[in-house]
Amino acid sequence: MAIQKTILKLPSGGLDFKAVFGYPQSTAVEAGGLIFCSAMVAVDPETGEREHGTVTSEVHRIFKNLKLLLEANGSGLERLVRVHAMLYSRMEYDVLNRAYRQYVPSPPARMVWDVVIESGFKVQLDVIAAAGR
Amino acid sequence: MLTREIIEPKNDKLNVSRNHKLPHSPGVRAGDFLFLSGMVSTDPNTGEMKQGTLTEEATQILENMKHLLESNGSSLEKVVKTSVVVYDMLELPNLNKVFAKFFPNDPPARTVCGARLSFGLKVEIEAIAVLGK
Repeated sequence: MAIQKTILKLPSGGLDFKAVFGYPQSTAVEAGGLIFCSAMVAVDPETGEREHGTVTSEVHRIFKNLKLLLEANGSGLERLVRVHAMLYSRMEYDVLNRAYRQYVPSPPARMVWDVVIESGFKVQLDVIAAAGR
Repeated sequence: MLTREIIEPKNDKLNVSRNHKLPHSPGVRAGDFLFLSGMVSTDPNTGEMKQGTLTEEATQILENMKHLLESNGSSLEKVVKTSVVVYDMLELPNLNKVFAKFFPNDPPARTVCGARLSFGLKVEIEAIAVLGK
């Protein structure tokens, strides 16, 4: 009956939010053919150092890290199902879209929220992807 | 076809959706997945909203979430993803302490953001879990 809950392997140490930041969370969990990722922010994938920047630079870094994470687990950016995009200010909505669209030729479902993000980041992306490819 | 079924806590006092005539259910089961509504701090003895410190509210929510999941063949161990809204991101370390206590092993993926909540509440938590102990 019950489906398995599997904590995903990480391609590099910088994406281990538990180890790097001490956050009580797994970076990504797979269950029933879906991959649930913790909200991703712009960090160096090797060291975990925060890379605050512009909305554009943060979006590029986040998608590169998501690609690493998903591909290391047999999925990929083209397998994204749903994205909650969190943005520090609605004024930068078009800036978000211009960087974002480069990574999603077949765009997943999406909702954009204006909220406060940890440590002063401008963007965070909470995604669900389909496992496999 | 996937089964779709409304799920409820065994303790009627915690059925906030019904008690306050709100247009949502405590949770919905779809196949082996349980999708929970966003939960706020509720007193399990009176059913009243229970404002407190962020630590108190988050602790009460996760205790109630444990009850809701265990009422329906799941458990906190089977949570795969949480989404948390806090009133002030400066309280993130306090939230982390509570999460570490309730999710000591293989924690779920998590997204946290700062936004304003109704009724002066300090935190709201939403979760996706799978069936099983």
